[in-house]
Amino acid sequence: MPILEVEHLRKSFGATRVLDDISFTMEPGTALSIIGSSGSGKTTLLRCLNFLERPDAGIIRVKGETLLDAASPASDFQRNIRLKRLHFGLVFQSFNLFPQYTALENVTLAEKLLAREKPDWKDNKSAYLKSIEEHGCALLAEMGLQDRMGNYPHQLSGGQCQRVAIARALALNPDILCFDEPTSALDPELTGEVLRVIRSLADRSTTMIIVTHEMSFARDVADHVIFMDSGTICEQGSPDEVFLHPQQERTRQFLSHYAD
Amino acid sequence: MTFAEQFPIVLGSLNTGFLQTFRLFLITLVGAIPLGMLLAVAEISRWKLLRAFIRTVVWIVRGSPLMIQLLIIFYFPGLVLNTPIWGGGESGRFAAASVAFIINYACYFCEIFRGGIQGIPVGQEEAGLVLGMKPAQIFFRVKLLQVIKAILPPISNEIITLIKDTSLARIIALQEIIWAGQSFMKGSQGISGVIWPLFFTGIYYLAFTGILTILFARLEKKLSYFR
Amino acid sequence: MKKIVAMLLCLVLLAVSALSVAEAAGDKDYVVGKGKLIVGITDFEPMDYKDESGEWIGFDADLARAFAASLGVEIEFQEIDWDNKALELDSKNIDCVWNGMTLTEEVLAAMTCSKAYMNNAQVVVLPAAKLADYATVESLASLAFAAEAGSAGEAVLTELGYTVNAVQNQAAALMEVKAGTSDAAVIDALMAAAMVGEGTSYPDLTYTLPLNDEQYGVGFRKDSDLAAALDEFLAAALADGSLAKIAETYGVQAALITE
Repeated sequence: MPILEVEHLRKSFGATRVLDDISFTMEPGTALSIIGSSGSGKTTLLRCLNFLERPDAGIIRVKGETLLDAASPASDFQRNIRLKRLHFGLVFQSFNLFPQYTALENVTLAEKLLAREKPDWKDNKSAYLKSIEEHGCALLAEMGLQDRMGNYPHQLSGGQCQRVAIARALALNPDILCFDEPTSALDPELTGEVLRVIRSLADRSTTMIIVTHEMSFARDVADHVIFMDSGTICEQGSPDEVFLHPQQERTRQFLSHYAD
Repeated sequence: MTFAEQFPIVLGSLNTGFLQTFRLFLITLVGAIPLGMLLAVAEISRWKLLRAFIRTVVWIVRGSPLMIQLLIIFYFPGLVLNTPIWGGGESGRFAAASVAFIINYACYFCEIFRGGIQGIPVGQEEAGLVLGMKPAQIFFRVKLLQVIKAILPPISNEIITLIKDTSLARIIALQEIIWAGQSFMKGSQGISGVIWPLFFTGIYYLAFTGILTILFARLEKKLSYFR
Repeated sequence: MKKIVAMLLCLVLLAVSALSVAEAAGDKDYVVGKGKLIVGITDFEPMDYKDESGEWIGFDADLARAFAASLGVEIEFQEIDWDNKALELDSKNIDCVWNGMTLTEEVLAAMTCSKAYMNNAQVVVLPAAKLADYATVESLASLAFAAEAGSAGEAVLTELGYTVNAVQNQAAALMEVKAGTSDAAVIDALMAAAMVGEGTSYPDLTYTLPLNDEQYGVGFRKDSDLAAALDEFLAAALADGSLAKIAETYGVQAALITE
């Protein structure tokens, strides 16, 4: 069964159609790269999946459960929206770390707040907190940040910040982890460390959607590639199909900008 | 009367006046900060009509002199409505001054709070949302401290202005420290035609603003651990 | 929404007009009804000033106390901003102004006043060193004067056609002279006696020429029946000698109007 099914997703901002009839599916444990020029709707697609935008039409299903059917009323969109969001994780282009918290606190904050909602929170408070703390430490260590746990975001480099943000998104064990141009805000010499982390996640079969402008990375890391153009899926297929044998003229044109 | 004889009398009178200044200062802060927050929340709320109403109130209050507001709040009920709600005594004058100052400063605080809240990058809210936080959690756990850090300089500015603005309350004969200092120019407690007590009140203001400046510097330093 | 606003406005207007009708009852009844006479004063020795225990005393204060007792009401003294005395009366925050108030045309227009009970004059305050140069009213013509805005002193100077800087109060007028920003000041004779000379901040100032004669009275709200009540009370106090006795306590018996 596919882990994610998106059907006929549509979204307009005023008179501008940003997403037009977007449909695709993902199998568990695979990585999907979304490429395309700026303004092609990639980021809006990720924001719809994370319930930061409400699509005008379409259906989003995760593990067979319909999380969103735009045909139903707006109140349905808001109902349990927090729980629906937790199926997805999102790593932002500009990190959006919480500046007043340390790296570790950034990773553990949301998990601690969610633990409070558990029925046995009061009785097992310290056990919960301890395990959350350990989980956070393990995630940061995985990101190669074991020495940076007590640092505040402004004391970290851009690459380190983004790795903290990845750990933060992983902390809640989302079904699908989304990356929104994770290296675009970084100095060129810092992109490598972030890409390495994402690749290691792919190696461990983390289900991921990666919006990126790093073409060679998109090709390497992905099991499936979608090329978007003016709000539509112009072409999709395996990395080799899209990058080596593009069927569409627009895909060829787009890729030619990156040939070097 | 020699200066040495005058000094303790004047000091006693100035202390009493300063107590009134300080009380007005304190009650204004205690009232205006929560009211300002309430107004700020209303001003960024979803209801268009409420937003327009608050904006109009803020415009009127910030756009007209506090002195006029004091006069209107104290004299209007008796003068036009024929119901002197304040009572003419010192406590009535203090109550009227408190109301005027709280309303006036709440409007200034409101704009500072609103700017502070709106100045936090959208990404902070979105990061909280995708991590499954509730709106209240996002406000208190993520935004609030950042807002406080951002508004600390303008708030400290406003609070220091407030100390000095309290002297405006003398227009409705609230006997704060400037009033106390001036009374010796005309004559009071056997001392008349003496100017120095008025100028001496400046020392009180300087000392008080000095203490507050130090307090705010400490607070700012405390919040300098993040950017 | 507009309808609701309109209805609310109507209600407020109705309430205001209803309250205005209630005003018609007499001022004396109003004060007796609330059981307290609030007297608007400023700190002005020897008329109203504080003794060591903080009690208000003085010729006016003692007289006001006696008047309140005759009405059978309590008394409360409230310091006011002199500029706002009419406003304080009209807004009912005080019930009378009783503070060595000169009966000028403005005062008589804004309030209903008692008959005059004390004489006063406006005097010229000068640096003592210049005293000899200015012995007559005519010799003052070249000077720049400071006087309280709206005071009897300002009125007299304007009438004479002299240059006047209108300042906030009589004390500020003295400060002008001391600071050299004005050449001379015109203030109340009673006040000049207390504020100029040895032991004050103005030891090198002195006062000389009286520019006019004027009188003190007590101010009430427009059309108040309390003014007539006070006139009756004062006539009785003059007749039984209690008025003179209070005047002697404060050394102002010479200025008392006794006819």
